[in-house]
Amino acid sequence: MGNATLSSLIKMVNQIADNNVHVGTADDAANAVASHITRFWARPMKQQINEYLNEGGEELNDIARQAVTQLQK
Amino acid sequence: MLQHFDPNKDYGTPARVSENLVTLNIDGVEVTVPEGTSVLRALLKRTSTFLNCVPAITWKHSALAVSAQWKLKVAAAPCFLYHTCRKRHVCYYAEQQAGETAPQHHGAVHLRSPAGLSDLSSNGNCELQDVAGAVGLREVRYGFEGNNHLDAKKDESNPYFTFDPSKCIVCSRCVRACEEVQGTFALTIDGRGFDSKVAAGQDDGFLASDCVSCGACVQACPTSTLMENSVIERGQPEHSVVTTCAYCGVGCAFKAEMKGNEVIRMVPFKDGEANRGHSCVKGRFAFGYATHDDRVTEPMIRDSIDQPWKKVSWEEAFSFAAGRIKDIQAKYGRESVGGITSSRCTNEETYLVQKLIRAAFGNNNTDTCARVCHSPTGYGLKTTLGESAGTQTFDSVMKADMVMVIGANPTAAHPVFGSRLKRRVREGCGLIIADPRTTELVKSPHIIADHHLKLRPGTNVAFINAMAHVVITEGLEDKEFIANRCDNTAYNKWREFISEERHAPEQTEDITGIPAAEIRSAARLFAAAPNAAIFYGLGVTEHSQGSSMVMGIANLALATGNIGREGVGVNPLRGQNNVQGSCDMGSFPHELPGYQHVADDAIRGRFEASWGVTLDNEPGLRIPNMFNSAIDGTFRGMYCQGEDIAQSDPNTNHVDQALRSLDCLIVQDIFLNETAKYAHVFLPGASFLEKDGTFTNAERRINRVRQVMPPLSGMADWEVTMALSNALGYEMNYSHPSEIMDEIATLAPTFKGVSYDRLEELGSIQWPCNDAAPEGTPTMHIENFPIGLGNFAITEYVATEERSTRKFPLLLTTGRILSQYNVGAQTRRTPNQAWHDEDVLDLHISDAEMRGISDGDWVGISSRAGDTVMRARITDKVQPGVVYTTFHHPGSGANVVTTDNSDWATNCPEYKVTAVQVVKVNSPSSWQQNYQNFDDQQQDFLKQGRESVSQ
Ligand code: SF4
Ligand code: SF4
Ligand code: SF4
Ligand code: FES
Repeated sequence: MGNATLSSLIKMVNQIADNNVHVGTADDAANAVASHITRFWARPMKQQINEYLNEGGEELNDIARQAVTQLQK
Repeated sequence: MLQHFDPNKDYGTPARVSENLVTLNIDGVEVTVPEGTSVLRALLKRTSTFLNCVPAITWKHSALAVSAQWKLKVAAAPCFLYHTCRKRHVCYYAEQQAGETAPQHHGAVHLRSPAGLSDLSSNGNCELQDVAGAVGLREVRYGFEGNNHLDAKKDESNPYFTFDPSKCIVCSRCVRACEEVQGTFALTIDGRGFDSKVAAGQDDGFLASDCVSCGACVQACPTSTLMENSVIERGQPEHSVVTTCAYCGVGCAFKAEMKGNEVIRMVPFKDGEANRGHSCVKGRFAFGYATHDDRVTEPMIRDSIDQPWKKVSWEEAFSFAAGRIKDIQAKYGRESVGGITSSRCTNEETYLVQKLIRAAFGNNNTDTCARVCHSPTGYGLKTTLGESAGTQTFDSVMKADMVMVIGANPTAAHPVFGSRLKRRVREGCGLIIADPRTTELVKSPHIIADHHLKLRPGTNVAFINAMAHVVITEGLEDKEFIANRCDNTAYNKWREFISEERHAPEQTEDITGIPAAEIRSAARLFAAAPNAAIFYGLGVTEHSQGSSMVMGIANLALATGNIGREGVGVNPLRGQNNVQGSCDMGSFPHELPGYQHVADDAIRGRFEASWGVTLDNEPGLRIPNMFNSAIDGTFRGMYCQGEDIAQSDPNTNHVDQALRSLDCLIVQDIFLNETAKYAHVFLPGASFLEKDGTFTNAERRINRVRQVMPPLSGMADWEVTMALSNALGYEMNYSHPSEIMDEIATLAPTFKGVSYDRLEELGSIQWPCNDAAPEGTPTMHIENFPIGLGNFAITEYVATEERSTRKFPLLLTTGRILSQYNVGAQTRRTPNQAWHDEDVLDLHISDAEMRGISDGDWVGISSRAGDTVMRARITDKVQPGVVYTTFHHPGSGANVVTTDNSDWATNCPEYKVTAVQVVKVNSPSSWQQNYQNFDDQQQDFLKQGRESVSQ
């Protein structure tokens, strides 16, 4: 897999997180982001963001990181 | 009561609703009608031939209002025509009863129009001649020597109709149609007495006037003074078929009037429930593209896009396409291919394409162009109201006391609705416009908005939050509605959020640019109105916070109790004809038809049982994900029906790279569009005139599309998809689109009661149509929401990353104009070019002066995505710091400049905000030069293909 998808996925998940910060606590926000990804992202996209987190996931913001971590459970 | 669907009866004036009934005696027969009914309508209830016996010319037109003196009032029965009239036209009948005959009327009629009466061969389409015939008028009283207008010069400036004043009887019907129905006020009667005549604008001809070529005056004209050129050239039509316009989401019904297989004219259908007999220039006149020479009507294939096309048989095209797709899947996996359904095709066709992708490709990589326009509507309304659709009918606006239009320009993009809205505003309804630009609704003849909230592009959510903040903190909310109809936990949480001081208009003023006092005043007006309705367009959805904004709109409607009855509601104005339908039909990668999630085992199980396959339980890729995966090499094959993603999607350079990366692109279209230039298989499509099916408009109204001529290529689009599926090894077997609809009805609960038979019976149906609502649902959420209680969503304003900078100091926003449609593939191939033959860049005088730009100069527009060149137009319609253009012409490259920023929830592109710089230039951009070369090459390949011998 190349970079076009990955860089867009990072941008997407961070943006979803930014738009959900205010739904409640950090946990609420992470839950909202995780559930959004579960409902709307395609399998290869989910796999790719998971792999990215496993490699360190440097560019993920806090809520995004928590959400993707949660997806792996 | 169910009104019987009678496509032909014309009652002359609109039906009136009243509990008071008037009974009158006509020719000894009693007729009962509601109070307010016109005399003519009452007469026509008695007999249809009466028309010819009543000189109804000055007032018979069903869309025109009835002047006061023509309305029936309750009076002591038995009453006759209870009215007084100055010139005694209608008394004609009464007087005839009393023994008088008609000479007076003969006088009135032929005084003006010797030509109209003598020239009986003109076209047989003249009410004046009919009336003259019916009353036995044979001779012209003053002969041809008297004063007349026979030498008056024709106005042939409009490309579609001619004005021949020598036949005019100055009845004013055209003037009234232009005022009352269209709301443009382009016509007047100039002069007095015998010299009085119809004038367009300052008598400078129709084309140069404000006329928008809607055709209402042509339709209203009782003589052949205003006449379609096609009728003048080809003669009267012989038969007609009622069908639905294939342009915008209003979904106007038309009578396609035919001579053999040729459409002579399209006449708006009086019983059309979306348009009520009105139309715009596109649907009314711009249908000539359907038979344009550029139509490609034979299948073609090629191995790579560097090669000329080769004509082949349908069989060979299908087997070539299927073979390529199967090879790709064998090599790169099941998920390496996908497809795009069309919002221009019918529900049945769209349903088949997504079915082919899910069942024959075996994945959920299906998406639709709604991704780039109204996907946030689906997401936002489903989250808050429980259904991904607008809540009202178009008629509902006639009961609104206050209308707020946000990010929409209905008089250009949804013209028939725009006219209706103007009519309501002229009746006194309040109007708030939230738009960075000064649209026609802000100020035009007899229209002036109470507020024009001129917000900065990209600050919608801050604006709507400020509106809601005022409502809540000033105690203007509808407490009863909230308590009874909404989820109170969600409400209390939202109430706390929205009450925070940072949402106050005084705080958001710096973000939105709207003065706090103006927001406060607008919010108070909106909340105080008994019925307040919100209409919105792509200025809401095409933003990085499109979905948040849709939810913010729904929050405001819920908080003010403006849901669940006529005159209120949340109304998305859908762009293309079948955007609503293509979303309903399961085009999105995560939803099966009827908005049912693919991960729900029970739902998926029903589809699996019906379709006889196992379906993937994970969502598929969206269009932008497909493009990225194509560039990465994991996505390699695509089937694209009736869409032009190469022109319509943002960041053209990126799309170009993605499309070039595909091993197999199958394009099905009526023209070799921009996308087809990257294709390996071209399957000829059929225009809307060539097939049967249904479109669903912005009111959720399912309208029938009826075939008026056979498909030029021999196959309708649904037949092509079916054959491709069969070639792929997944069997489809339908003999008519009605069978496809029957299948949809078994699988999508909101369509349960829909069938072609029911559509014939009812005329049209608004979904949901099921056991609870067997005739459909005009107004939604009357008693409860599909999710039970209304849900308030938290909508935090998050500024877009796209900001003006020193390098890119201006904000570009894009939109559309009346005469062109979307990527222009259809309208550019019609005389609509007379109004808009190139895209131009609108900029404010101060920005122009600063850059030394004059009106008409070539300017380069650059963003971080790319650059292009257009002509500048200096205007005060945009505010300083904002520039505006359209994307109707491919060579202008508007989307070379737009970026791949998108809505956080749906990836709907942020077309409405791009930071740009504009400079004066004198040559096309390098992109334009490359585009020109590529276009020349592909046109040459097409020419070679057309000339090749079919194999
Ligand atoms: S153009 Fe037709 S509608 Fe208009 S005044 Fe003349 S006859 Fe009447
Ligand atoms: S075509 Fe429409 S806008 Fe033009 S003059 Fe006639 S009614 Fe008015
Ligand atoms: S383009 Fe829209 S408004 Fe115009 S005729 Fe067609 S459906 Fe009606
Ligand atoms: S208007 Fe009354 S008779 Fe013509």
